[in-house]
Amino acid sequence: MYNSLTRIQNVFGFFTTVAFVVAAFIAASDFTYDRTPSAHIKTTNVQVVKGRPHYYSTKKEEYAIMKFSLDADLSSLFTWNTKQVFVYVTAEWTSPSKSPASAAATNQTNSAVIWDSIITTPSSDHLANIGPATLKKLRKSAAGKAVDPKRGLLSLKNQRPKYQITHPTGRLAETTDVRLRVHYNVQPWVGFLTWSQTERDFGRWLRMKDGLSRAFTLPAVKKKDEGKKAKA
Amino acid sequence: MLSGLQNPRQLAAQVLNFGLILSTAFMMWKGLSVISDSPSPIVVVLSGSMEPAFQRGDLLFLWNRNLLAETDVGEVVVYNVKDKDIPIVHRVVRKFGQGEHAKLLTKGDNNAADDTELYARGQDYLERKDIIGSVFAYIPFVGYVTIMLSEHPWLKTVMLGIMGLLVVLQRE
Repeated sequence: MYNSLTRIQNVFGFFTTVAFVVAAFIAASDFTYDRTPSAHIKTTNVQVVKGRPHYYSTKKEEYAIMKFSLDADLSSLFTWNTKQVFVYVTAEWTSPSKSPASAAATNQTNSAVIWDSIITTPSSDHLANIGPATLKKLRKSAAGKAVDPKRGLLSLKNQRPKYQITHPTGRLAETTDVRLRVHYNVQPWVGFLTWSQTERDFGRWLRMKDGLSRAFTLPAVKKKDEGKKAKA
Repeated sequence: MLSGLQNPRQLAAQVLNFGLILSTAFMMWKGLSVISDSPSPIVVVLSGSMEPAFQRGDLLFLWNRNLLAETDVGEVVVYNVKDKDIPIVHRVVRKFGQGEHAKLLTKGDNNAADDTELYARGQDYLERKDIIGSVFAYIPFVGYVTIMLSEHPWLKTVMLGIMGLLVVLQRE
């Protein structure tokens, strides 16, 4: 009855049970922390240039380059169960629908990420895809800390976008009512992935304060030589 | 030891017991599938393209219903490329339009370029039907067993053998 095999089985079974219960408690602890994120974003310089989707393409498309300034306080998102916070800025706009079935007044909503950033916590720094020098600097900035809420403080001035966006139609110039919005996604060590709430609070987690730019209009296409300069 | 072989009734009970374990696991998997509306409600991360969020061997739980909102930019989704059977876990970074024919573009957080290169020839965007679920929960490392098993196939035989032996030898 009690041979070594059943003993090993029992020990392993008990180990997994305990591990999963502890993991469940850790995951549940997320809901006990306050979240009070806030962000202010504004565009500083918006251009539209002509370009090609890739080197061999002959198709010319219009690309929007939206520079922006961002001040964000996401420090409350950093708790012991936070593995990384993924911050991203989207541009949102509507365009007239192309489908013939709903030709009339229906508008198409569009949204595209123009900039993103992975913020690791000190305990996950070693996982980040960065060079040794940057890693050393990052480690030094949070020496001795397991959680570093300061990393949630962002202050970007006239930031270049990481992604130049276009639309499947290839036309983007002179689009009206474009807005930038700041989002985040909290990646836990174990448990539920959570995103920024835009409309309602959820328990102790408040919705993102502000985080939306004023509506702006994209300019007309820049002339060719100027466009080249902007890309370089 | 080997008592089951002496008593056919007990042997039958053990075989039934083994069948019960297998069918319970299968029913739980299919039940999860029905609840989440996803053909594969739990997936194991196979590549490092979403690092540092997901490493190889991490377990992801998927949800494939749009009860409150449509699949939107920023969500981490698992999709299958046309005619390829490898599920890919990446983040939606662009969405043009709404509804089931919205054009979605994905990108791995750790990749420099978006996934246009990964899609099928002539396919520039994903549609909702290509997606088999959005990641909503995460357990690290647990799925590494399956990576071990697929990379070292002999482990499968060994494990099945041990399991079978245990079940037959066990007295309950």
